[in-house]
Amino acid sequence: MPDLAISKIDAFALREPVSKRAYTVVRVVTRSGITGYGECGLVSAADLERTRAAALGREATASESIARDLAPMPRLRAAINMAVLDLVGKSAKAPVYQLLGGPTRAKARALARLWGNTDASLAASLERVRAMGFRAVVVPTPVPSARNQGQTFALASVRRLEEFRKAAPDMDFVLDGDGSLTPGDASTLAAAFERFHLLWFDEPCRVGNLSAIRKISSETVTPLGFGRSLERPADFQELLREQVIDVVRPDLAFYGISQIRRIAALAETYYTAVAPNHLGGPIGTAAALHLAASLPNFFIQQIPLPEADEDRRMRAELLAQTVEKPVDGYFPLPSEPGLGVTVREQAFEKYAERIQ
Amino acid sequence: MRRRQFFEGMAGAWMARRLPGAVDCGCALAPAQAAMAPPLPGSKLKITGLKVFGVTLATDSDRPYVFVKLETNDGIVGWGEGTLEGKAAAVIACIQDFRDFLIGADPMQVEHLWQSMYVHSFYRGGPVIGSAISGIDQALWDIRGKALGLPVYKLLGGPMDPRGVRGYYHANARSLEELRRLRETAVSQGVSCFKTGIPGYYEWIETHATIDRAVRSMAMLREGLGPDIDIAIDFHAKTSPSVASILVKEVEPLNLLFIEEPCPPENVQAMARIARRSTTPIATGERLITAYGCRELIEMGVVDILQTDINHVGGITALWKVSAVAEPSNISMAPHACEGPIGGLATLHVDAAMPNFLIQEICSGVEPGEKEKIWAEWLGFPAMRMVNGRFPLPEKPGLGFELQESALNKYPFGGTRPMARVFHKDGSVAEW
Repeated sequence: MPDLAISKIDAFALREPVSKRAYTVVRVVTRSGITGYGECGLVSAADLERTRAAALGREATASESIARDLAPMPRLRAAINMAVLDLVGKSAKAPVYQLLGGPTRAKARALARLWGNTDASLAASLERVRAMGFRAVVVPTPVPSARNQGQTFALASVRRLEEFRKAAPDMDFVLDGDGSLTPGDASTLAAAFERFHLLWFDEPCRVGNLSAIRKISSETVTPLGFGRSLERPADFQELLREQVIDVVRPDLAFYGISQIRRIAALAETYYTAVAPNHLGGPIGTAAALHLAASLPNFFIQQIPLPEADEDRRMRAELLAQTVEKPVDGYFPLPSEPGLGVTVREQAFEKYAERIQ
Repeated sequence: MRRRQFFEGMAGAWMARRLPGAVDCGCALAPAQAAMAPPLPGSKLKITGLKVFGVTLATDSDRPYVFVKLETNDGIVGWGEGTLEGKAAAVIACIQDFRDFLIGADPMQVEHLWQSMYVHSFYRGGPVIGSAISGIDQALWDIRGKALGLPVYKLLGGPMDPRGVRGYYHANARSLEELRRLRETAVSQGVSCFKTGIPGYYEWIETHATIDRAVRSMAMLREGLGPDIDIAIDFHAKTSPSVASILVKEVEPLNLLFIEEPCPPENVQAMARIARRSTTPIATGERLITAYGCRELIEMGVVDILQTDINHVGGITALWKVSAVAEPSNISMAPHACEGPIGGLATLHVDAAMPNFLIQEICSGVEPGEKEKIWAEWLGFPAMRMVNGRFPLPEKPGLGFELQESALNKYPFGGTRPMARVFHKDGSVAEW
């Protein structure tokens, strides 16, 4: 067994040239020279120093113990978690999902968000995203012209989705309220879509507004998704206990693999599906696929599919393999040891963002 | 420690015989206490023999029957059934584990023996212990009825309805045309209700195509069977609360008799969420053991109909108690029966005496098949077949049949067969 004590931790902040989406790649190296990579949102230099102080010298296999000590820096905890699983997997010559008791499935259902915000731009991207192999997409609600506009708004939303279903009958849809609708509009829409059979209605209203969520969930059977901004597992527990959530959406860059597995275990006891939120880069996608292959109640993995060619090129340049190409609606699982990807560090410099 | 002194005072002689270094745990003191229990007033009957039979009809069956035969000192024998799908050998072993509880015991003290088997098992319920107790309990009731010269339903205070026990068959029709033919047969036989399973397998969130297919198939049942035949649809816990909620709301216009097991049984609140959001009656309970196992479901107002299974719940004693616990909430009983003929016949006796009885299942089609022929051969009458839409009441003492061990010889136990394993499109485990 090689020496798996952590000897070096580095972070590389990256930014997509067009979308300006930013994230951090974290590299962990052991004394024996094995390297693992993880990913999270932007982090501060101070948090990086604290993380080094807490994690350097620790056995990489003790990922839960390391995670406990990194709790004050949840983003870095997430990235370090992916990185240590990556390197332990490489050391054991096993894909990460095997470390986690998987695989539970042979492939993972894929989800992408459509680009644009008008009916025309969304319809155009629907066609493109379908051609890329996706069979499920996130569609934003139309931008309301005023608060609580009721019928006009409901009609515009239903018309948008019905047109899309006509254009692509084999596609499924997640409607995204982005947490921005009033409880009244959210409720109206949830009812209007009851017989349309959305996969689910994501963040129909603010997740903190529990009484509004309770009302929507008790009045309609449209499945509701929440959680991409929730930063405490107890918040998921509350939504599950209140019987108001159908899809739990912990953020990958905040929780990492191991913490989402705990939230998923909780959701499983309520027969509730997990669809991790993912706004970062392709290393995160690889981690998400291993997570998917370890969960019994995984449903779908969203990736932040960039619209611009330059941004997509960046994602391709970061890895030697492609992990973000679905086949007939499903991502194949990575099969190589660790996260199953080879990171090309020469791309770091090209897309570097300064860590403050 | 006071507790220890108490036991030592009581069981000093026994303590003295303990092996040095034996496990030092309070449980080990129990036999001494048992020896001091006063004898209960008894009958002259004693249980002298316990036999367990694994009976395999077809080699690919996941449910070889588990039959129990209790013998007594005056020649009366009792039969019971503890068939547990996919776990036959475990139940057979568990019944054998109860041998010491039973040999020498008075078979008339059914409730007392039931309590001893359940409470003294310490871990109480669970399907294996529940099915083992079920088989033994039915055999005890059979003996008691025979000893007293009464069919069990009369011991229970029945019949509520002298015409017999209303029942339903399973509808195995795949097309509108087949359903229409089935309707004609049903009308000619006086059958008033059918149940069928929802087709396919469901992830915890589902696509439009899958939901749409399920809704169409359910609507076709009503169209084919007509407006005046009751229809029940078994979701078989294949659906999550999220998916089931959509489906049961979609089928509200069909006015179904009930939908069954809209989600798995562990989380009662999750099932409550489905029930709250639809007018479609919800039935469940075939996997629940003892009345304790049904209490939360009843208390929370989740179900309209309970489908207790006499071969798992704890036999006649426990099925009757479930109906008693459900009755104050006016919850109906539609007992499950998908195993062998002994459990089926035992259920009819309880059905006939329940004020809140709705309908009795039998996992058979409207036309009898091979299985039904074998049952008739064993018992000498067409067991669990309806006449004019009702199961006739078994009128002979006890459970109302004679069974010779030799009749089972043709179907020796072929070992436990696992239940079905099915998977989703991505290869992950699916509920069936």
